[in-house]
Amino acid sequence: MQQAAYWITISHLKRWKYGQINELINRIYIDNGSDLQEFFSLDPEEWGNNYAIDEKRISSLLEAKEQLVNNAFLAESLYNQGFELIPLNSPDYSPTLKDNLKLTYSPPLLYIKGNKQLLVEDSIAIVGSRIASSRGLSFTDNVAKKATERYKVIVSGFAKGIDKAALDSALKYHGHSIIVLPQGVMTFGSGYKMYYKQIIDGDVLVLSTFHPNAPWEVKLAMARNPIIYGLAKEIFVADSSNSGGTWSGVKDGLRKGRQIYIRRPSEDETSANNLLIKMGGIAVDEKGNPEIQQETEKQAVSTTSIQDNLPSRVVVLLTNIALTAKEICTQLGIDMPSKQMKEVLSKMEEIEKVKIGRSVKYRVRQPEIFDLK
Amino acid sequence: MDQFRLNRDEAEQILKQKFGLERFYDEQWETISRVFRGERLLLIERTGYGKSLCFQFPAIIFDGLTVVFSPLIALMRDQVNKLQALGIKAKCINSNQSDEENINVITEAKQGVLKILYIAPERQENMTWLEEVQHMKLSMVVVDEAHCISVWGHDFRPAYRRIINLVNLLPKGLPVLATTATATKRVENDVASQITGDLKVIRGNLVRDNFRLYVVNVKSDDEKLIWLGQNINRMDGTGIVYTGTVVETELISKWFDFINVSSRAYNSRLDAVTRTEIEQGLLKNSWKCVISTNALGMGIDKPDLRFIIHTQFPQSPVHYYQEIGRAGRDGLPTVIVLLYNPEDRDLPEAFIDSAKPSTVKYQRVIDVIQNELLGEKELMKRTNINQTQIRVIRADLIDQGIIREVYIGKSKKYEFVPNSKPFDPSFYDQVRVAKTNELKAMMEYAETSQSRMLYLCEYLGDMVNKDFKNCDNTGLAKHHVYPSPEWNKKLDQFRLSYFPELPIESEKTNLINGVAGSYYGVSNVGSAIHRCKYKKGGDFPDFLITLMLKAYYSKFSKEKFDLVLYVPPTVSGDLVRHLAERVSTVLKIPVSHGLNKNRITQEQKDFANNYLKSDNVSGAFSISDPQIISGKKILLIDDIFDSGATIKEIGRYLTQLGARVIAPLVLAKTVSGDKL
Repeated sequence: MQQAAYWITISHLKRWKYGQINELINRIYIDNGSDLQEFFSLDPEEWGNNYAIDEKRISSLLEAKEQLVNNAFLAESLYNQGFELIPLNSPDYSPTLKDNLKLTYSPPLLYIKGNKQLLVEDSIAIVGSRIASSRGLSFTDNVAKKATERYKVIVSGFAKGIDKAALDSALKYHGHSIIVLPQGVMTFGSGYKMYYKQIIDGDVLVLSTFHPNAPWEVKLAMARNPIIYGLAKEIFVADSSNSGGTWSGVKDGLRKGRQIYIRRPSEDETSANNLLIKMGGIAVDEKGNPEIQQETEKQAVSTTSIQDNLPSRVVVLLTNIALTAKEICTQLGIDMPSKQMKEVLSKMEEIEKVKIGRSVKYRVRQPEIFDLK
Repeated sequence: MDQFRLNRDEAEQILKQKFGLERFYDEQWETISRVFRGERLLLIERTGYGKSLCFQFPAIIFDGLTVVFSPLIALMRDQVNKLQALGIKAKCINSNQSDEENINVITEAKQGVLKILYIAPERQENMTWLEEVQHMKLSMVVVDEAHCISVWGHDFRPAYRRIINLVNLLPKGLPVLATTATATKRVENDVASQITGDLKVIRGNLVRDNFRLYVVNVKSDDEKLIWLGQNINRMDGTGIVYTGTVVETELISKWFDFINVSSRAYNSRLDAVTRTEIEQGLLKNSWKCVISTNALGMGIDKPDLRFIIHTQFPQSPVHYYQEIGRAGRDGLPTVIVLLYNPEDRDLPEAFIDSAKPSTVKYQRVIDVIQNELLGEKELMKRTNINQTQIRVIRADLIDQGIIREVYIGKSKKYEFVPNSKPFDPSFYDQVRVAKTNELKAMMEYAETSQSRMLYLCEYLGDMVNKDFKNCDNTGLAKHHVYPSPEWNKKLDQFRLSYFPELPIESEKTNLINGVAGSYYGVSNVGSAIHRCKYKKGGDFPDFLITLMLKAYYSKFSKEKFDLVLYVPPTVSGDLVRHLAERVSTVLKIPVSHGLNKNRITQEQKDFANNYLKSDNVSGAFSISDPQIISGKKILLIDDIFDSGATIKEIGRYLTQLGARVIAPLVLAKTVSGDKL
């Protein structure tokens, strides 16, 4: 990819969110039929005029532009070591990821090593606590085995406990696996040695969305979770406590309307799995099969009155877009004055107000885990 | 930016202030103004033209740093010294400097203190550099000696592949300047096709009419030594004698010592400090000449080298032009001599033939890497292939996209590229044919009856229409060699007084440098030893032992040894035992038979690299009565000195037991390539 340095530069812009970067990329490539090299050769005035970029963001673009040469050195080093860069507009970019995270949350650039075909295959994620229970581990093994038999790729985060077990089981059953790194691709040294054979045989793909040189950090581990969920068509939760990465990640997923399968814990376990099931997760048994009564509970939920269910419907609606109160009523098909809707919205903690142009719009509060830039 | 508005007059004012030069040549200014416009250029100009100014001048105008990839440490150092003398902030990073020095330079580059930074292309494989360069503000990239990019070039270097990849990833508008003094049309096209983004070529002419080109026909190595002896002091000023091998540099320098001509031998085996010292000495005319392999030369910016003599013809006219191009840059008359013996073609032919290992070896490397992520050392151990060949194989396999270099932390490993095509050796056959043709062309230069300057220019793609009068075919007198009895006698005396040294001293052991009676490959030495060792030819013949004892007296006449030990044999046999007994009798030093092997080892010659040789003998020796060693000065006898791994192992062991000095003495020393 000739323009790799440009892609690296634009993908890690300071003070820009993924959504804003992606929108700009779309405007450059789709609306203007241009490319990044041409975009970066424009002067700041043209950025302002042709792309309606405000001054604050122009200044971070200028700052980033200074890095182009340095990023060329970085890109050369990456390619030389067999890493690949997959930008948002590439046919190799994971369609599942784009589908799940939409333009708002999709990372503009994926750094990978290994069999990139795995990105377009059917996939599941198995997630859970770093301190896994033996039941959680055996659940993980069962689910991984079943998925492997059905040729599904297993996505996991290379953390201790459930993540690692998911990967090990995938390999034990000769399946395929994607490791989503909580760090840059260049800092995973010994991991490449450990999974050398699997990577070159095409069974494992290592993926990161962070700057290639970024070392492991808690906040990157947190930011990595939505990528794991995004890469998977189905999500299975083995173990969760009521705090930490799995907990916030699953809640985030449920809020975004993802179907998440939660292992039903037995009564002697102190796990937060039941809480997640109450929040809308689908209970499954130790083999990963959905429980029958869960279906009826779900039906019961769906027959409750529109009013009772309003907040969760609003959350689902506003996950990826910002709308005015009036538009929300129309979209949900509710006959309610805008003013009343505004009151409902103002009481909802998960919703925030944003001013876009002249109109006041509402959207799901941007979770902190995305605010990395 | 300001540089766009800088016109030639203004630029020349700055040139005068900063470089003390009056004006640019037209092609220099054309190049510089294009650099200011952010273009990508290939500049082909003869040595001494002033190519460096084409990037040094823009570099001081730009805000950021100019990085110059340059393959020769000596050249870097020389240019850096000159720039510093002009008050320009220039530094280099290279493997001769300590890590600390290099880190300091990197820090200065990151702080924006430096204007020009010279680095070797191989540095692009260094993880620290790759991480740090991402924090430097760069304004320009320069690729010096750009012919190294092309496999069709005379000095292809695999590390340049990464430079090409880098250049092709650099953002548009960042100036890139590639320079060379020697690019045939084929190389020029190859370079242009590899660098994307509209590379412009600027080509000057290569004529050097201050050269006096001579070819002297000789029939033997002895005639070369005699010619040198008779003529070296008749040359004006200081010069370089180029040889084909490292051994020859030592031999000729000893010969010059013998006939009282001041000289120094220079080759890649010398340590960095010695090399720098010799380079500096050459600049200051400390000796009549420096005798060197092609390791010296490209780097030396000495405008008044008055002569260059080759005792071995190079692989191609391009190599030759490159090597002689270093002389006479001041434009004054300069003597260029080739001592030509058509039989010398064996050496360059061997280079061409041995340039590529066998396909079986390539496959062995692929098979091993397919199963395991390995570094160079592990790879050599797993495959039993020597370092030189492993490096060639590795570079070719990387080139063919079959393996690649990765970093695990800071250490380099090699990994298999999934779905890569099988190894294709046919390309290297084409390269071999091309190289054989180049060698023929070199011999044609020596044998032509036409103008030698014209021949070189045309070969290098410089079509000149000029009537040259500067060679022994076009107006200068022919030179011949006259081996008089007096000189033959001197040479014989010399031959009997010159013994190869065994460089084995180290801080970790009490080993001192030893000596050999002869080189293995000289006259009938090797075959005599081979007959005794492997064909049951009986004890080593007297002439070998006499040579060895002469070597002993010349090297160790002042030492007093307490004990003779000898290396126990791998295969049964008493050859070395008998040898040691005879030495003991003649020198009147007691011999001990106590040094033994405590396990079976294989013959060292079965191993192709030093790692395996060391492993083979590691911990293999013991002595029956260790107390006799303590405080003693020991003479250690063996028949052949090859890698030195066995002697080192014994030296380590005897040092542990308290030996004060261990001095190796052997019949013959091999040079790389000797078949035992």
